[in-house]
Amino acid sequence: MSVPLSQMWTVASYVLRQRLTGRRRYPLVLMLEPLFRCNLACAGCGKIQYPGQILRKNLTVEQCLTAVDECGAPIVSIPGGEPLMYPDIGRLVKELVARKKYVYLCTNAILLKEKLEAGLFTPSKYLSFSIHMDGLREEHDEAVCKDGVYDVAVAGIREALRRGYRVTTNTTLFEGANPERVRLFFDAMMDLGVEGMMVSPGYSYSKAPDQEHFLRKQRAHDLFSRILSSPKRRWRFNQSPLFLQFLMGKRDYECTPWGNPTYNVFGWQRPCYLLQEGYARTFQDLMTGTRWERYGKRSGNDKCRDCMVHCGFEATAVQETFGSWRGFRDTVVSTVTGRA
Amino acid sequence: MESEKSLEGWTPEPHEGLPLARIVDLAFDYRGNTTVILRDGAKLHGYVSNRDAEAAAPYLEMFDAEGEGPHRLAYGDIRTIHFTGKDTAAGKSYAAWLVRKQTERAAQAADAPPS
Repeated sequence: MSVPLSQMWTVASYVLRQRLTGRRRYPLVLMLEPLFRCNLACAGCGKIQYPGQILRKNLTVEQCLTAVDECGAPIVSIPGGEPLMYPDIGRLVKELVARKKYVYLCTNAILLKEKLEAGLFTPSKYLSFSIHMDGLREEHDEAVCKDGVYDVAVAGIREALRRGYRVTTNTTLFEGANPERVRLFFDAMMDLGVEGMMVSPGYSYSKAPDQEHFLRKQRAHDLFSRILSSPKRRWRFNQSPLFLQFLMGKRDYECTPWGNPTYNVFGWQRPCYLLQEGYARTFQDLMTGTRWERYGKRSGNDKCRDCMVHCGFEATAVQETFGSWRGFRDTVVSTVTGRA
Repeated sequence: MESEKSLEGWTPEPHEGLPLARIVDLAFDYRGNTTVILRDGAKLHGYVSNRDAEAAAPYLEMFDAEGEGPHRLAYGDIRTIHFTGKDTAAGKSYAAWLVRKQTERAAQAADAPPS
């Protein structure tokens, strides 16, 4: 695991505090979407297909900060849309860092070099650029439906690292991914010098147009086993090793849909980052007004049946790590031995 | 593969087999703008961003064509919804892009000089 100790400590103490106070449901990562606009048009993305007046909307920084304060999660992930197209991204990140939130700015990196050169950000242990990379050049450019993006992203990664920023990658694997190519991709990212990698199977948004292209559970276990069963020592993952074991089918987890609550121009998204079944006006309303029993594998909800995406299950893994001696022991053993 | 069939241009009227709540659900799932027609004849054009059919007084929320909102409308005040705006998700499937890409590659391979 490549997560810095200070971040691990922050998350561990947060989880323990929640447990000690008897809070049954609590968020770990706020998914903050200040806009839906993007400079790519990936076919698998339902976020960019809104009509023009919605794509032109931005949350204000004040709306973002109110959401952050309401939610209270120690980690804030900023996806979108493309967050580097958000006009106030520099100010937003500065405010979040001042609040000692660990920020993952999820970007396709097309604008990264330009924004770094413009002096929009300052290196901090609280700020990590999480670069969307879905594989080596051929696979990534195909996933984002545009040639040349891989090379631009690599240039952005190099520039961010040169300037002393934390840089991680986030990778979504789709059906048909070649395990050997994925392993080569992990090597390539480590060669670049990124701090760690995040990997997850894709999910079909209910509104996405290509549901059958996403992984089904059994095929996903098989794929991740082939990728991760003999991990190289130099591979570093910016996520829980227990989640990686879950992906390989070694653990059976239930989803924690409230673990990564999502706030965007429509409000607090019910019930999770992936499903859009409505919006709540406040975080409190999201937590108390959502019929959580309708979601997760045990609910029998078809939309949840095959889901293994990190935004639902990483929170479960983290809670096991910091909520049980066995989970903590397994995490330590996996981290020390490097075995997934 | 998910059907590419679009609701664009659909002008339903509620009836026994098609309650208003179902039309609202479809409008909520629709990626383009719609026209909400009220019982008093007024029309609101925009994007249906939210709905709650289980609330004590069921409602939908929408952003108008200028992006202002959300405006909240009670189901009881709505006669129907017409799918008047362009379906911004139609024809943008991953499968369609792959087909385009494969066609491009095949054309490039055909144009390439023999090695």
